[in-house]
Amino acid sequence: MHPLIQKYKLDSIFLPLLAILITCLFWYVIAGKSVITEKTDDFGDKIKVTKREGLSADLPTPAETWTASKPYIVDPFAKRGELDQGILRFTWMSLVLVAQGYFIALVIGTPIGFLLGLSRQFTKAFDPIIQVLRPVSPLAWLPLGMILFSGVKVVNGDGRTTFGASDAAALFTIAICAMWPTVMNTAVGVRAVPVDYLNVARVLRLSRWKTLWKVLVPATLPYMFTGFRLSLGIAWLVIVAVEMLTGRPGVGGFLWQQYNANSYAHIILCILTIGVVGYVLDRLMSVIEGRFKTA
Amino acid sequence: MPLIEIRNACKGYGHNGSRTEVLKDISLSVEEGEFVVIVGYSGSGKSTLINLLSGLVKPDSGEALIEGRTITGPGPDRGLVFQNYSLLPWLTVEENIALAVDEVFKDWTAEQRRAHVARHIAMVKLSHAAHKLPRELSGGMRQRVSVARTLAMNPRVLLMDEPLSALDALTRATLQDEISEIWQSNKTTVIWITNDPDEAILVADKVIPLLPTAPATLGEPILVNLERPRDRRTINHDPAFKKLRARLINTLLDAKGRTKSKTSLKLNLPDILPEDLTQVNSIEFLTRRGPKRRHESKNEEVEVAA
Repeated sequence: MHPLIQKYKLDSIFLPLLAILITCLFWYVIAGKSVITEKTDDFGDKIKVTKREGLSADLPTPAETWTASKPYIVDPFAKRGELDQGILRFTWMSLVLVAQGYFIALVIGTPIGFLLGLSRQFTKAFDPIIQVLRPVSPLAWLPLGMILFSGVKVVNGDGRTTFGASDAAALFTIAICAMWPTVMNTAVGVRAVPVDYLNVARVLRLSRWKTLWKVLVPATLPYMFTGFRLSLGIAWLVIVAVEMLTGRPGVGGFLWQQYNANSYAHIILCILTIGVVGYVLDRLMSVIEGRFKTA
Repeated sequence: MPLIEIRNACKGYGHNGSRTEVLKDISLSVEEGEFVVIVGYSGSGKSTLINLLSGLVKPDSGEALIEGRTITGPGPDRGLVFQNYSLLPWLTVEENIALAVDEVFKDWTAEQRRAHVARHIAMVKLSHAAHKLPRELSGGMRQRVSVARTLAMNPRVLLMDEPLSALDALTRATLQDEISEIWQSNKTTVIWITNDPDEAILVADKVIPLLPTAPATLGEPILVNLERPRDRRTINHDPAFKKLRARLINTLLDAKGRTKSKTSLKLNLPDILPEDLTQVNSIEFLTRRGPKRRHESKNEEVEVAA
């Protein structure tokens, strides 16, 4: 085989596999193992007692995790009940919510970023507020969202609530947490537009509107997309917290519910799913981002 | 009446404490159809001068006028060719030029505007690259697009801010010839800024040195009455060309020489006095108060370039 291909195989297949193996081994070592002992009970009968032992007795082993997760993975779109569905079905619900909140974040965040980048006064006025609100955790925003949208209630024909206060609060939380990278990157991008491009616009006497769309927006796009990518990552982080607190069905809600139901294997399944989906989303966004890089 | 002029303009940057005057008492008037080249050292305020005319910079005192009206801001009547091309990288050659044409000739039909764009692309010999993005073009080609974009606005004056400085020598020569040719065919008024005296004499009707006094002032104009078209291969041996070049370079060098000034610096000479090392082991040496110094400073006059 060609030595380069060999090297590639070693670097990008063998080494990651090795790392995964080591991690699983570590996991196996610290996980609890079921130990079955035979005992004679008070009535003189022999009974089997199952006890879990190990460094972290309640943590399922990799094999147990797989066995318990199998029905959710092999039939990813099954719907056995409101809170017992295939893992991709849950993921899809979470993704829909994230998409909505993320969309709101972009629609609000991008213009704010432009205003910050264009106007010194606006920056001076709003920068303190933004800097203070930016590090606030999603867990803190959600209750505020509940209060803000306590009156929201959309009822469909059957009298069932299709969009209630908790849905509105969830969207609000995702939007307000995911907005900041878009806001900051857009502002930086607008400030970084080369003076030459603006001089071209001045010499051609382009109108403000045309300067915005023909010069400012295209020149800022690469920065904006960096912001969009970071925002999507945060939106996906926030979803779990939001679903846990509101009890919405979704991958995060499932995680919390399984924790309460003591099926710990499913927690690991959820964590892996969240990680993989987050990674895929980030890759997708960086492909799109790459397409918008100009000169 | 001159087409475009500057009257007693001064311009400086910065505030009270760290203020530097860049231009002082600049007066310049250019007639319709003239080809004027302003030559000066790098950093001597050439770009500021052309920006006074383009309207990107306002003079502190004095005024800049076009056809007798004060210049208050940039406009399409004064086409500016930037040193670094300033093409929008997300637009193709055609779109870059169309952006200017669509803005300036709003009352034309789409067909007219398209033809106008195509004509100017052809004029700079770039029809084959009309749909390319600037990053796919060489530096020379980019500057040709920039010239085409500016000419397509049908400006009264073409302002060129060191248009060829970023190009290699061979490309620069080609573009000098091409721009000269274009000028001969449409006789637009041109004000061209450069730091290359040869380039200046080769293309200009009138060369004005920008003297590197601080702040800079304009020198006596030098009229170039060499025959056109000028052939760069033979012109180097033309005595008239040589004489003009010598005169121009001398003017610039003389002005540079005059800007040297005298200043005095206080220099501290090393002044530790020698000690007798044979007494190192004596009591006096151990209790001495450090090395002895002559405590003198000497003044010396040195010449420094300002």
